[in-house]
Amino acid sequence: MTYAYLFKYIIIGDTGVGKSCLLLQFTDKRFQPVHDLTIGVEFGARMVNIDGKQIKLQIWDTAGQESFRSITRSYYRGAAGALLVYDITRRETFNHLTSWLEDARQHSSSNMVIMLIGNKSDLESRRDVKREEGEAFAREHGLIFMETSAKTACNVEEAFINTAKEIYRKIQQGLFDVHNEANGIKIGPQQCISTSVGPSASQRNSRDVGSNSGCC
Amino acid sequence: MAACPTGRPGRLQRHLLSGEFDQLRDFSIFESNFVQVTRLGEVANKVTMGVAASSPALELPDLLLLAGPTKENGRLQLFGLFPLQFVQLFVHDESRCQLKVKFRTGRAFYLQLRAPPETRDREFGQWVRLLYRLRFHSAQGAVPFTQEYSALEDGEEDEGPTEREEVAQGRPL
Repeated sequence: MTYAYLFKYIIIGDTGVGKSCLLLQFTDKRFQPVHDLTIGVEFGARMVNIDGKQIKLQIWDTAGQESFRSITRSYYRGAAGALLVYDITRRETFNHLTSWLEDARQHSSSNMVIMLIGNKSDLESRRDVKREEGEAFAREHGLIFMETSAKTACNVEEAFINTAKEIYRKIQQGLFDVHNEANGIKIGPQQCISTSVGPSASQRNSRDVGSNSGCC
Repeated sequence: MAACPTGRPGRLQRHLLSGEFDQLRDFSIFESNFVQVTRLGEVANKVTMGVAASSPALELPDLLLLAGPTKENGRLQLFGLFPLQFVQLFVHDESRCQLKVKFRTGRAFYLQLRAPPETRDREFGQWVRLLYRLRFHSAQGAVPFTQEYSALEDGEEDEGPTEREEVAQGRPL
């Protein structure tokens, strides 16, 4: 299937916060309660439609365990978007965000769009990090913020798609050089390079952009 | 060792050369096509497995790549990239050209080589030699065989998490 752009995403955050579950929910629309530890990187891909443009998201799901941290750092290069995930029921995963953010800033393009995700919003009774704290952290560090539930699928689509929208907006504003592969963006095969916006024939068979359902 | 057992760029190498994975494009990959089988040999799905070195300066490969056909259109899709330091490869059944892949997390699955009869033994032999070199290099000193009688000899069962055989639809992971 053709696409206008390919965006490379990387999913980062402590072990057990639900990175692989978020990916599985987004690509396969299912939840797997027990998931093996990720080692190295596992890949997912899905087409989305942003402003009438077909965009392929190539998603790198990384290992969160400390022992894999140095390996994970080598995967940041060339990412256009990052999903930085913590678990709203485990305070320590929130406390480690600064360290993840430092890695992300150090090893990726300065234009990379970072979406901060407070996952497991279905576990309200066990909440250990207030939504306002997530919002404040995101505001302070210039990140987008959402709370999600990979289990109920709440806001999962929106988290991935809103990140793509922000990358696309940056392309249109000329902030991303789409010819520089280090930015994590590739122009699709046989695509005219244009910054014009509008519906294209390739939007057929695509999944539409969902609006923020606000379910969490 | 040739980049591909057949001497030509394999499917996985061609897939990476197609340009969607910039970081992996320049890897020289030793790869083969397999079918995933259960421990008893029942066929599950197609898998392409390769090993690559993340740097040309390395003497031995340090990465394992797994790919398979997508459910939608059958085109090859890269599933994962795993540092070989966290993966163990074994010969499971030499007569059936079967390998066993075991992750340090305990996940394990079995792959049977899919190759023309005239080249199958030679191709499998290349994997066996590679396994020996990787094992020798990791200084574990274990013989990479897991079939019945040798299962206890290779020492894999008494280290790391409990092994779980994984057979999933569409992908081996």
